Amino acid sequence: MGETTQIKTVCGYCGTGCGLVLDIVDNQIVKIRGDKAAPVNKGQTCVKGGFAYKYVHAPSRIKSPLIRKEGKLVQATWEEAYNLIADRLSSIKNDFGPESITMFACARTTNESNYITQKFMRTAIGSNNIDGCNRT
Amino acid sequence: MGSNTTEAHPIIGNKIKKAAKSGLKVIVVDPRRIDIVKSAHRHLQIDVGSDIALMNAMMHVIIKEGLYDEQFILQHTDEFEKLKNQVELYTPEFATHITGLSTEDIIETAREYANAEKSMIAYTLGITEHHCGVNNVFDIANLALLTGQIGRLGTGIMPLRGQNNVQGAGDMGCLPNQLTGAASIADEEYRKRFETTWNIEISAKIGDTQTRTFERIGEGEVKALYIIGENPLLADVHMNHTRELLKKLDLLVVQDIFLTETAEYADVVLPAKSWGEVDGTYTNTDRRIQRVRKAVEAAPDVKEDWEILCELSTRLGYPMQYENSEDIWNEVRMLAWEMYGGISYERLEKEYSIHYPCPNEGHPGTKILHAGFHREEVGGKVSSFVPVEYTSPLELPDEDYPFTLTTGRRLESYNTHSQTRFYADGVKIRQKEETVDIHPEDAVRLGILDGSLVKVSSRRGELKVKAKITEQVVPGLVFMSFHWSEVPTNVLTLNEFDPISGTAEYKACAVQVEPVLDQ
Repeated sequence: MGETTQIKTVCGYCGTGCGLVLDIVDNQIVKIRGDKAAPVNKGQTCVKGGFAYKYVHAPSRIKSPLIRKEGKLVQATWEEAYNLIADRLSSIKNDFGPESITMFACARTTNESNYITQKFMRTAIGSNNIDGCNRT
Repeated sequence: MGSNTTEAHPIIGNKIKKAAKSGLKVIVVDPRRIDIVKSAHRHLQIDVGSDIALMNAMMHVIIKEGLYDEQFILQHTDEFEKLKNQVELYTPEFATHITGLSTEDIIETAREYANAEKSMIAYTLGITEHHCGVNNVFDIANLALLTGQIGRLGTGIMPLRGQNNVQGAGDMGCLPNQLTGAASIADEEYRKRFETTWNIEISAKIGDTQTRTFERIGEGEVKALYIIGENPLLADVHMNHTRELLKKLDLLVVQDIFLTETAEYADVVLPAKSWGEVDGTYTNTDRRIQRVRKAVEAAPDVKEDWEILCELSTRLGYPMQYENSEDIWNEVRMLAWEMYGGISYERLEKEYSIHYPCPNEGHPGTKILHAGFHREEVGGKVSSFVPVEYTSPLELPDEDYPFTLTTGRRLESYNTHSQTRFYADGVKIRQKEETVDIHPEDAVRLGILDGSLVKVSSRRGELKVKAKITEQVVPGLVFMSFHWSEVPTNVLTLNEFDPISGTAEYKACAVQVEPVLDQ
């Protein structure tokens, strides 16, 4: 077993924003504690934030792009996936206009990724058809 | 109001429980006898969807007894007469018939809310997930304005956000009507600022909400849908309908960490990095910006959300390139400087969290958003009361479907459960599968035993699920969560939406519950 390193971060479940300290061994999260220095939770965690972290290392994570071929999703390279999406989006935009394309953003990802998501939609696509799961 | 705090926001629940022990008066408004009721000074166990009748009656009492803040109303509000007229009809006696509450409880709650030195209303999806969700929120704001319970420490309106960065996603501009910094897309000057930096013309046409998107897919107008980290098939109302719509698309792209139920219908699935594998910031429920940090290396062929979009954008003819998340954040700070200008990564390292608005490096951040209400400014902006009328849930129980189904979350699970399936070893989980929570009186009447299989059906679909007999619900009301794909509760729910927000009426639909005899 390798050395334990500690990383401070913020919980990814609900909107409370609890500060956490993660113990990392051999590139795996092995333990999570509430960060005592965190202004929101002062060291506390709930059962989800403290223990429901193994999904990060789950074998069922998707590890490469998938493309539908003859009805089935099969493994593909990023190059193939990008080309397919770019071709289809371009032709849909050409034929039906930017309003025929919509994006659902993610309320779980970072501010930075969300900024890029809406920038992508408003520049590369040219539409304001962007919304999130904030209504569900 | 409408917040199962100890299960959906456990740490906020802990704070409320602790404060209750030191004398904070907690009033819980919820149709179920949820855990936080144990810490409550009063539980208003209202009928599902009757919040406006309760609040209008509270305002009726506050006005009639002269408990409102006259000075505050004069200085900071508009349309008080209109509000007065609207709530005139809502006597406590009238509201009793709609809400199922006693007149004493309504009157006492009104007096306590208005008379307390500091009152705060916290709410969650029990308020918003109705066809009248926006009106519910307007009425909360009406109460706060009427009594001046806003803009001071310990007062205000506190929507408890269900997702780690749902506040941030909206603030960043992932909304059809808003640009980064929560400014309207119709604001020409603000749009110009982005057009100059982005070097492209931005459409001023307000885009589609998620709800409207599904309608337009049905009408054949939306051909391509790109979904990031979301599982609408399981999470949205009327699942059988959602499935048909997804199949209609010419192109469905899903970017996620797991092959979700929605991803199964995709033409292309892109593997994204997850929490723990990325750097950046989140915005929490009280507007704090905080740093999230990369803790582990992701698998080699998995990419970060922004990285994927930049590469795709470049291929589509609009090149985007950034060094790292800080590089992106600095663009956000530059463009939406009124909100984030002073919130640098460097400061966040030192200060842990900063509340926006924080326009410059010398600014401490803004802990109380509406403090302006209490400054002696003449000619400032006034806030209008928005009087609203009570409307009953759109599908009421009847002879064929005699129960009201209300839906929500459970402590140990999260949304469509793609992440909370993976707990650390040795954690004892109380609820490992879905149940329909039903009152003992109903269970006895129908011959349903605790843990036995029952059929729950609505006009839109049906499913089989184990019964949990509990006094958390009242007779005639059943409860389910939407966590388990094995029991997809949203085959039952109603596809009716708030006309302004597009939020669906998850909290009320009519169902039938029958024992499954052949078990």
